[in-house]
Amino acid sequence: MSAPSARPSVATRIAALNALIDGEERQEAILAALDDDAPAVRERAIRLATRYVEPAVLGELVADEANAVRRNAAIAALERQGPYALPHLQAMLRHDNPDIVMFALQVLSRIGDPAATAAIVPLARHPNLNVAQSAIEALGQLRTGEAVPALLELLGGELWLQLAAIDALGAIGDPRAVKPLVDLVPDSVVAEPALQALQRLAAPESLGPLLDRLAIVREQSLRDALLLAVGVVMDLHPDPVPAAGRLSHELALGHGGGLVSYLQQVLQSGEGDLLRAAVALVVVARLEPLLPPVLQRVADPSGAPWAEALLHQHPEVLRGSQEEWLQDVDPRVRRGALLAGTFELDDLPTLLGLLGDPDASVRAGACRALGSTRAESVAPLLTERLRSGEPIEQAAAVHGLTFLPLATLRELEPCLESGADEGITIRALDVLAARPHALFEGRILEFAASRAVPLRRAALRAAAQLEGSRAEVALIRALADRNQPVQLEALELLVRRGGERTTATLAALLGTGDSLRYHVIRALGHLRATAAAAKLRALYPECSLHERLEIVTALIRIAPPDLGDFLLILLEEQETELRRVAASGLAELASPALLPMLLTLASDSDWNVRNEAARGLGMLALPECRPPLLTLVRDVEPVVARTARKALDALPAAAIPA
Amino acid sequence: MSRFEAAEWKLLTDLIQDRFGLTFDGIRCEILESRLQPRLRELHLQSLRDYYQFLRFHPERESEFVRLTPLITNNETYFFREAHHFDLLVRQIVPELRPALRSRPLRLLSAACSSGEEAYSMVIALQNGGLELAGVRWEIDACDLNPERIAQARKASYDAGSLRACDDETRRRYFREVGGKYELRERYRKGVRFFEANLLAPNGVFGWGTYDAIFCRNMLIYFGEEAFDGVISLFARSLAPGGYLLLGHSESLLDRVSDFLPVSFGNGVIYRKGIPAS
Repeated sequence: MSAPSARPSVATRIAALNALIDGEERQEAILAALDDDAPAVRERAIRLATRYVEPAVLGELVADEANAVRRNAAIAALERQGPYALPHLQAMLRHDNPDIVMFALQVLSRIGDPAATAAIVPLARHPNLNVAQSAIEALGQLRTGEAVPALLELLGGELWLQLAAIDALGAIGDPRAVKPLVDLVPDSVVAEPALQALQRLAAPESLGPLLDRLAIVREQSLRDALLLAVGVVMDLHPDPVPAAGRLSHELALGHGGGLVSYLQQVLQSGEGDLLRAAVALVVVARLEPLLPPVLQRVADPSGAPWAEALLHQHPEVLRGSQEEWLQDVDPRVRRGALLAGTFELDDLPTLLGLLGDPDASVRAGACRALGSTRAESVAPLLTERLRSGEPIEQAAAVHGLTFLPLATLRELEPCLESGADEGITIRALDVLAARPHALFEGRILEFAASRAVPLRRAALRAAAQLEGSRAEVALIRALADRNQPVQLEALELLVRRGGERTTATLAALLGTGDSLRYHVIRALGHLRATAAAAKLRALYPECSLHERLEIVTALIRIAPPDLGDFLLILLEEQETELRRVAASGLAELASPALLPMLLTLASDSDWNVRNEAARGLGMLALPECRPPLLTLVRDVEPVVARTARKALDALPAAAIPA
Repeated sequence: MSRFEAAEWKLLTDLIQDRFGLTFDGIRCEILESRLQPRLRELHLQSLRDYYQFLRFHPERESEFVRLTPLITNNETYFFREAHHFDLLVRQIVPELRPALRSRPLRLLSAACSSGEEAYSMVIALQNGGLELAGVRWEIDACDLNPERIAQARKASYDAGSLRACDDETRRRYFREVGGKYELRERYRKGVRFFEANLLAPNGVFGWGTYDAIFCRNMLIYFGEEAFDGVISLFARSLAPGGYLLLGHSESLLDRVSDFLPVSFGNGVIYRKGIPAS
């Protein structure tokens, strides 16, 4: 057994470090703690070094080869200092020691400030290959077009630098790189990385050349990389059809050696992005023989909603052979065609025939398709399915009915009769909850008073779509429902309904002191109920803290003219949380008149208040905001530092002093 | 990527750390977010800041903390996890105590016991070691923050995942298969008492100098520094002089100041509370 050490505990060491923040020994203590053996102490020291130690001092620690722990901690602190450390890091790039230069490059790339690009570009041709590679990687992470010419020059050079340059060009995303990268495919050792870079670039002009190469390449891994790149480029292309059409033509001529069977294989057993790319190619290039596996994917319940959406974007793809797909022997193809197709009145006979399909999922697809025709005549059929179909048909019938003209929904009457099955009544109410209507008001309001909670909730949702005061009264009554979820749903429905009357009702409810008032205050905020602002202000002194916080939050949303003054008063409150919410309101207001207050808040003792100050300074975006943000970017609390960094990055050029 | 802002996360996770000692970052935040979303919807709250304020200031905050507990705890455990610790219990710890155990029961604690697999593994190990036949009695306290897990532990009914380290013979011997679940046989539940407890509760939750050994494995990795030190101090107070603390394989007191001394066994290190010089 070993004896316990007499060294202070981690918590004690951290407390000792914190205690020195305002003392003369601060820097010495921080630097010593940077190589503490406990990660928690080091982390605290890094935070303090970020805030209180100058980059030049940290730079010396980076140069100290004898203490790797402290070197790493100094690198972390420099990185967190962000733009504040930039001038010193740029100076470090001129150091004789290649290791120091590489550390500086690493930090600069992580800081990600494009202002460093000019200093890094010459290093891409540094005689030390490790330095050159680090510089290229850093340029990729900084993502500025300024580096592109230098990177393109490296494409014919040393292999490792070539790989790094390809990766950097992909990250930068400049279209000047498209042709040189395409030229590397398929016959070079860097073809795959070049394809990955082209995928990241996603430039429209690369689609044609990529498809040409897809038709001639045989090697599986290169084919996969090409297909992935094609998928991404097509996804972002404004009009991929002409380029893809040429591929279709080539394949029809029997060219493309094995591409069709390759795509077939991906459609059947592929997954993820590769599958998605194959589906996109089949749809955009209109490769009809490959549509059945695409439709099978659409029909798969756990499958590919994106494939359905893609086919809806290109309705002409299915249109030509739609009848054929709808009669396919495979029920998945029939269902897929029903879900992804577009239908008109002429299609009704076929669709009605499919309502008798032996497969329930196909019948459900037919219900949806029938709804999409908007034909009045299908309402009785869909209602019948809603009442007596299998669950999948019932859900599809609800969906289909929501597309039909309102007048046809009278068909739902039997579902809403008092003796009807509760589940069917709820489904019928779901149809009525989908859009504004003026049907079955009496019935709906009766159900809104039902004893069954699910029925009551469904009825309230349907009532929210009714015009007029009776429905509103039902919703308001539900605010006092014995079941709290019903209360809250009613409140949310009232908020969505909006309107002066709702505001007035909710404002009147502020007089009650029950638990609902908390939600009413929130609702008034979400309604941005200007008319309730004065009443909320008047209520503030009488409320408990949780309601006060909601009142301030609601007033910030409403933004009455005197909000700034009210928030300034709140900053004097003892309760930290009220001060935090007030600071967040001041940040939202972002008025130049509030700049002095935001500057004060930037040195507040509470991290959350400082965070709001950073946010507000960023929103103000004045030149005067940059110096305090450069301090906040080194805040001991990383969340604050990140907010300040975001604000600094978003400052317009005019706000950056020369 | 979270839909919530970093500042909201900090507010909420700092609050959870203060209350329960648990820290959240990276993937654990993602898991927490997916668990919290339904609760936020139920409360009609939009942001983590709303929820933070609810937990801090709403009149129903205490009951909300109870609801929060199952969402923040990691319930990953199984029978005979790190099995060498149970061997140590039977072959090393109990024999040292044999003279004292003639007049009193062996007292063990399974801290953060989740659904009870660890506590019941102790019973099985003690039974198999022939200690009951040798006249040794035991009292095993097992506590967890999560009331749902405690209820499950009392039922002693498990899914196959809890028995992943058990071979077929072990399953047959200690469990009865009932409706696709594995029910621990009554004989192996003997002497175990489950209760809810927050190890960071201000006044401590256990008696002083009570236990001969404490098992607290794979929980401290989720604790922040202060909570870690606080729980270790609690264990030090709760153990009898010379009592043992058994931590998970990735948890260590080696770089910390504590009342414990490391004791090396073949399969790793456990910790022993010092015995005051007489």
